[in-house]
Amino acid sequence: MLEDKTSKFVLFGGVLIILAGAFAPNWIVNQFMFGFSRALAIVGLMVLWRTGLVSFGHAFYFGLGAYAVAILDIQLGVTDVFLRLLAGALVAGLAGFLLGFILRNYRDIFFAMLNTAISMVLFGIVVKTESLGSTDGFAISMSTIFGLAPETKYPLFVIITSVGVIAALLVNYYLKTTYGRLTTAIRDNEIRVEYLGFSVAHAIHLKYTISTILAGGAGALMAMSLGQVDPESMINWTVSGELVFVTILSGPGNVIAPFIGSLVFEVLRTYAFELAPQAWQLIMGATFLTIIFFLPGGIWSLLEKLGGRKNGK
Amino acid sequence: MLVVKSLDVDINGTPILRDIGLTIDNGEIIGLIGRNGAGKTTFLRSVMGLIPVNAGSVLHGRDEINKLPGYKRAHMGFGYMPEDRRLVPEMTAEQNILVPVWSTGIEDFQSRLQWIYKIIPECQKFRETPATSLSGGQQKLVALARALMVGKNLLLLDEPTEGIAPVLALRMGEILASLKAEGVSIIIAESNDAHVADVIDRTYVIERGSIVSD
Repeated sequence: MLEDKTSKFVLFGGVLIILAGAFAPNWIVNQFMFGFSRALAIVGLMVLWRTGLVSFGHAFYFGLGAYAVAILDIQLGVTDVFLRLLAGALVAGLAGFLLGFILRNYRDIFFAMLNTAISMVLFGIVVKTESLGSTDGFAISMSTIFGLAPETKYPLFVIITSVGVIAALLVNYYLKTTYGRLTTAIRDNEIRVEYLGFSVAHAIHLKYTISTILAGGAGALMAMSLGQVDPESMINWTVSGELVFVTILSGPGNVIAPFIGSLVFEVLRTYAFELAPQAWQLIMGATFLTIIFFLPGGIWSLLEKLGGRKNGK
Repeated sequence: MLVVKSLDVDINGTPILRDIGLTIDNGEIIGLIGRNGAGKTTFLRSVMGLIPVNAGSVLHGRDEINKLPGYKRAHMGFGYMPEDRRLVPEMTAEQNILVPVWSTGIEDFQSRLQWIYKIIPECQKFRETPATSLSGGQQKLVALARALMVGKNLLLLDEPTEGIAPVLALRMGEILASLKAEGVSIIIAESNDAHVADVIDRTYVIERGSIVSD
């Protein structure tokens, strides 16, 4: 499972980032926490994208994960970081598994928009429900680790990075299994997959559920990193759009890509906001256009090109 | 072994197959001959469960199978070779042949693979070659081998000699003759039966979605 180049790079990179994080200033640690939390959802969207499916509503699962953390905190006082993460991933995964029975029958724009519709139903419910925090949302208490309350954010950063490493390794392994290798085969031609004896519906259902577990985990980690949840920044369609944006920015080439893409996105957004507080979206939009025009394979394709040149290819 | 009764199939509201029927016994080779657009591919796809059927039935033994999802056909030992080959480009020739093994869990696949290599030795030669590096004719042989891997009960071949070099088309005829000697049941759809006429036991002629003679 760990023999290939990608797995070694993920492990080595993860350890390096965790070590470097101990000496990094707070704001950099924050950027990595937000970036890697979001990256988890992007890994899931990448699996779907490789199958030819784009979901424009994964904020539903991202939001479910985040709100699971908030509600557990407020109702039951659960603060353990692992319990919170598990709850977020499970709630979203269960919802994804159930909705998957419907969504696995749709493709293209219908798949994308059906996901949006579902996410907007949740958004509507949360905004209108006082007990779910309405538009204000909830503040979340600091996460504890095995009953200990850390004084800095570093331990949470270590956990988020480790979760990212584990998810990347698992998905990388999955993509090499028979079902994983069918991802591009399904995108190219569904009929072929059927007469070779695989059920396309089952394969898509599995991929969809994987992506929702990852999105739920991402939402839970983001909620813990930010220390608060609200519908605007967790469930609204703009969040789904952001997830798709980062997926395209990253490129589908490798499981490492979402982590790099998410970091670039965080840094870009921070500087765009600092540079032009009134028009930062303009900078993001221009970046998006540039990527689509010049790097349709995302940042990963650029890294591949640079790597290829270095190796004299 | 397979009986198709009064099959009606529409695609996007246009009737493609009308009241079509066909039977094939064990070890028999049936020719389905008709011009382009007659409905040959649609017929094979309907039998494979890849497109929904409006009316009629497909019986395998005593079981009506037209309600079963398409992927179950491979598990029932139906092998399908589409006209345009459809190999998985990321895989080698042999990996392509083995895909149905992974999906259906064929236990004695090694001996079956050797049996296939005995009938189509070309495939053994380029077993390690990526699918994209094979010529059209070679890809067709791999697609046939892949269909053979799973097609223990029935093979459905869509234009096996179409669009390949004449030498390869003759070779395909030879391969089909050796399959006949092995007792494999096959439905061959062709617009021109020049290379396959010798191996066919019975012929159905299809025209505008209906069988006009058998």
